[in-house]
Amino acid sequence: MVTDLSSCTSVARQLMAQPRTTTSGAESRIGGAARVRGRVQGEGDLIVEGHVEGDLTLRGHLTVAEGGSVACDTVAAESVTIAGLLQGEVTASGPVQLGATARVRGNLKGSAVTIAEGAHFSGRLDCDFDLPQELGGTAREARTKAPTRR
Amino acid sequence: MASTVIGAGIIIEGEITTDEDVVVVGVVRGKVSAKEAVTIQQGATVEADVTGGSLTVAGTLTGNITSTDRVDLQAGARVVGNVKAARVTIADGAQFKGNVDMDL
Repeated sequence: MVTDLSSCTSVARQLMAQPRTTTSGAESRIGGAARVRGRVQGEGDLIVEGHVEGDLTLRGHLTVAEGGSVACDTVAAESVTIAGLLQGEVTASGPVQLGATARVRGNLKGSAVTIAEGAHFSGRLDCDFDLPQELGGTAREARTKAPTRR
Repeated sequence: MASTVIGAGIIIEGEITTDEDVVVVGVVRGKVSAKEAVTIQQGATVEADVTGGSLTVAGTLTGNITSTDRVDLQAGARVVGNVKAARVTIADGAQFKGNVDMDL
């Protein structure tokens, strides 16, 4: 199933307008000129401005910045924001956001998936609605909001 | 702020290649090659051959170091491996096992 959702919720717009900033030292960054080949795993937020090839497993937020690219078999994180290139299977326990500059090929799974206008996406969208009670609210919200077009 | 930061909770098994600088606070196993400064901070564990410009080590490093500029092993550093650089400093309190080659 290929889904084309050319709108995103106002909450997601807000989130994408204000890039996440963490003041703690738990933030990691793969710079624009950097290339990582191999397995990346761990805790904390990660911003990818460069290139990552390999598997990515993160207990934290993953941001693929504009100009950044990730080519992985599997990408697992708590939440994912994509403004760059991503190829692979994305599994998030929280929301997945595709910004206007995102180019994504692969399957997306998250509690909520938002796709901004201008984003390119080909693959399967999987919002799990049989989530536990505390996550169910977000998932249902995503279902009611996602198909609305502007 | 450095362009590439491997945070405290992050483990990378593989290769990091960059034209810019790298700061490691977490764990890297594999290979690190940078054109600019490489900093291995206190608490970091690097099991990799490291090449770069100016190299500063305050954490644990197992592997060979090759620098086009200088290598500074700071107090608290634990380094096992060979160091190849024109300028090398080993601070009081740094542990080092390996060969130093300043013949560049």
